[in-house]
Amino acid sequence: MSNSPAPNKQWKISRIELETWLDEIAVARTLIAPRLVSGIFLYRHVTNSSEIAWSEEKSESPHTSRPILSSKEVFFPPTERLFTIQKSGQEIHLEENYPNWETVVFGVRPCDARGVKLLDAVFMDTIPVDSCFARRRGNTTLIGMACKELNSNCFCTSVGGAPDDAHDMDIMLYEADGEYLVEAVTEKGRFLIPGGEWKETSETPPKSTSNGQFPIPQKGKWLEHFNDDYWIKISERCLSCRACAYVCPTCRCFMVRDEMIQPGEFERIRCWDSCGGENYRRVAGGHKPRAEKGERLRNRFYCKFYYYPEQYGLNAESACTGCGRCIEVCPAGVDITEVLLDLEKSV
Amino acid sequence: MLPTLGKLVKVRDLADEIKLLRVELLDGRSEAFKTCQPGQFAFVSAFGLGEAPFGIANAAERGPEVDFAVARLGTVTTGLHELGEGDIVGVRGPLGNWFPMKKFQGKDLVILGGGIGGAPLRPVIQHVLEHRSNYGNLSILWAARRPDLLVFSDEYDEWRTAPNTTLFLTVDSPDEGWNHNVGLITQLLEKVSPSMENAITITCGPPIMIHFVTKMLQEKMGVPPKDNYVTLEARMHCGMGKCGRCNLGEKLVCVDGPVFNMEEVGKLLETFL
Repeated sequence: MSNSPAPNKQWKISRIELETWLDEIAVARTLIAPRLVSGIFLYRHVTNSSEIAWSEEKSESPHTSRPILSSKEVFFPPTERLFTIQKSGQEIHLEENYPNWETVVFGVRPCDARGVKLLDAVFMDTIPVDSCFARRRGNTTLIGMACKELNSNCFCTSVGGAPDDAHDMDIMLYEADGEYLVEAVTEKGRFLIPGGEWKETSETPPKSTSNGQFPIPQKGKWLEHFNDDYWIKISERCLSCRACAYVCPTCRCFMVRDEMIQPGEFERIRCWDSCGGENYRRVAGGHKPRAEKGERLRNRFYCKFYYYPEQYGLNAESACTGCGRCIEVCPAGVDITEVLLDLEKSV
Repeated sequence: MLPTLGKLVKVRDLADEIKLLRVELLDGRSEAFKTCQPGQFAFVSAFGLGEAPFGIANAAERGPEVDFAVARLGTVTTGLHELGEGDIVGVRGPLGNWFPMKKFQGKDLVILGGGIGGAPLRPVIQHVLEHRSNYGNLSILWAARRPDLLVFSDEYDEWRTAPNTTLFLTVDSPDEGWNHNVGLITQLLEKVSPSMENAITITCGPPIMIHFVTKMLQEKMGVPPKDNYVTLEARMHCGMGKCGRCNLGEKLVCVDGPVFNMEEVGKLLETFL
């Protein structure tokens, strides 16, 4: 199914129609949606719509809860098997394990969809194509839901996003007066819309409330302040716990290693990793670049706003989606918006 | 990220705790290495343990087998050391950029290798020896901490006897019977002082050595940064510009390198040290 834009078509559906639709999807495909797992929200497999976590259960048209981890993990799982290795004497047999199932992710936030798009730049738009990521991406349809407003840590509007940005979705839903406005964004999304059953509408999607923007430092600022003591100062409270990287929709560093499944059978896996780790760049000879915490934290900010855009041809775009998860999760109060404002102010 | 299977056709000790693995690629995959250029690298798998990147240690002209010099330092390299002839490894490559050997034609070459850093320079030496008349004088400055850590010692005679080629050896701690230089490679460089008038320099070794050698070449011997080449080591897990681990500022060593000249290195936001 192509990602090309669909003719601009919209429908208006009730909560019941939405649930019926999701139940039907869950029968034919793997449906992933925000779900309450041991007290936290995560994008997880749901077998029907009743398992989905809604943030305003009592409201007529509730929004889904925002998961603590972004939808990155649907396409780029925390741990993923690349292939299996069978060893018998001097014989070796390798077998790739491609994910091969049709998946629909429901309740995707605009910041998360933008994150997936930014990962495309690394894994699909830059040669060679990463076959595991590409396979998952091709098999997956994104159904987004517009945020009504920005919450206290959100700043998507400052990094080129918007709470109702439908760009990177296949289908976008907007809550409106007890009903949902459904917009088919791509052909792939249009394919999921049940024909004829829904009421078409030409209504304009409701606008979300957006609480302003702050300026993002441009390239010159980053170049100028690389050697500032500021990075050491700001990192004093950093614990190098790397939680910021794991919750980030666009942090994509990974490690690769082999694990034993049983004697004679192994798997090569890749796992999320982060430039915040002390031994992240240690080489076999013992040389350990970026040994200082400040250098590592600096690398994370520089990657988001300078390196990643430069390496993967994002032009002026940053690799930050403004979701604010890193602020939420940091136990030491490192706040990316504070860093951006400080850098912008600095002379 | 699926490697090609390769058979170890030769395993020999290169130096203390350093082995040379010669790999014959299976399933007709040696084709991929026919166009391999000096300076490129590949990942080698010890199946069940993992894979690690190594500079390809021979020139394509000396193929079709592919050589890797493996120092026993970590899990993967220890696993590779335990393998013998006939065992199967995985190979992913060739990856990365290379020394622009065509551009170097007609120039003198000064090659400075420290320890196992000599391995990715061996294909440069072999390439020059295979196309000897295309290049000017070749000076090889080869260093190690101890004589038993000097790599490719059984090939020194071939290098020494090639036309317009000179080999200089140095170690920090000599043993009995050592009759070459003693001291750091920078001291050797100062002593030998090859003509830099029409020269390209190529350095590989530990980061601290690269730092002092390239500095000396530039500041004391007048080598312009654009003619002062290095090949850099970095931790990598993919070699294809995805895993993010090897970045030096805005550059990725795996796809933008590992070969850089000092003009390029000088422009990087982050230092390699």
